[in-house]
Amino acid sequence: MKRVLDRIQGPGAIRMEFQPIVKASGGEVELYAVEALARGPRGTSVERPEVLFEYARRKGVESDIDLICITEAFEAYAQLPHQPLLSINVHGSTLASVDHFSDRILSAAKAYGVAPENLMFEVLEYRAPWAIETFVSTLEMLRDAGVRIAVDDLGVGASNYQMIVDCHPDYLKIDRHVVRGCGEDRWRRAVLESIATLGSSCGAVPVAEGVETDADLETLLDLGIDTLQGWLFAHSMPPEELALHPLFSAKPSLKGQCS
Amino acid sequence: MKQLLIVDNEETILFALKRYFSKLRYRVDAACELEEAEALVAHTRYDLVIADLSLTSGGSTEGLEVLRFLRTRSPKTPAILLTAFGTPAVEREARRRGAKAVLAKPQPLPELARVANALLEAQP
Repeated sequence: MKRVLDRIQGPGAIRMEFQPIVKASGGEVELYAVEALARGPRGTSVERPEVLFEYARRKGVESDIDLICITEAFEAYAQLPHQPLLSINVHGSTLASVDHFSDRILSAAKAYGVAPENLMFEVLEYRAPWAIETFVSTLEMLRDAGVRIAVDDLGVGASNYQMIVDCHPDYLKIDRHVVRGCGEDRWRRAVLESIATLGSSCGAVPVAEGVETDADLETLLDLGIDTLQGWLFAHSMPPEELALHPLFSAKPSLKGQCS
Repeated sequence: MKQLLIVDNEETILFALKRYFSKLRYRVDAACELEEAEALVAHTRYDLVIADLSLTSGGSTEGLEVLRFLRTRSPKTPAILLTAFGTPAVEREARRRGAKAVLAKPQPLPELARVANALLEAQP
């Protein structure tokens, strides 16, 4: 029987979808960036991304799958009629363990015509610690090339203060667990308020994930968190669908970006 | 619709079990290796798991690992262990790890379905 791993690593097996990240201003939203989201081979047990990466972790091939996903994201992104900021997930362990990660990724980006200034890596992790020196130096090389860095899933798992201290992120991507329901939950609101203050203090833009209701949106905007992602604005979709989406019809804005 | 996970490394058996239980209106996920089964259990709430004892070569016991992991993640989910290499020691260990039934393989599909249904009906 063909093993799941062989099926995942086959050419084109992992598909990419994009979910818009928007900037809200004066009652309007405009496209700010797109996050690339991996999907496993259709109709298989690992089609769901959480199962795909759980499987990869257990097989010890998380970094291999990360590299495949990054390349697939470049290829899908290159199909878009214009190129907003592209955000891609990468595990901290990949940054810390893959030889010459920065050179390899920047070469691949160049091959697909992706400018480093248009690229953001969302660092996520399920386990710590990793080789911190390599991790930090890889991030520095990426940053020197113009790539922006985000801490993903902030507020859950290993995405904590240590990650912020080590990453020096340009963006703080707040996990949906904290965001969802914040309109009616003072505890969530308090955590969001503290993240907004933290972002302001260290010059990192807070980005709320999982925005699904008007009540949550109102709370986030009250707190000054105006960079947003969630079903209230758009689901994830394949590149050909994104190209036709109303959010994508206007030229993307990069204002408000960190440098 | 009840959610069922079937774990077996033999493609024809996996296919047959998936098809049979799907026709009985179960929603069926299928896994052919230990890590795949663990990844699914980690992110899915199953009503029942049916696992073969051996997922690599004759005599291996990955099915016991599936039971162990299931017990950690979802202790109330009943499990059936299938084995062509059954011994009293294996059966004891399987039950210690939470298996509600240990059945010889091959097992007639209607009998397997009867045991599965009985376990589901016994759930609170």
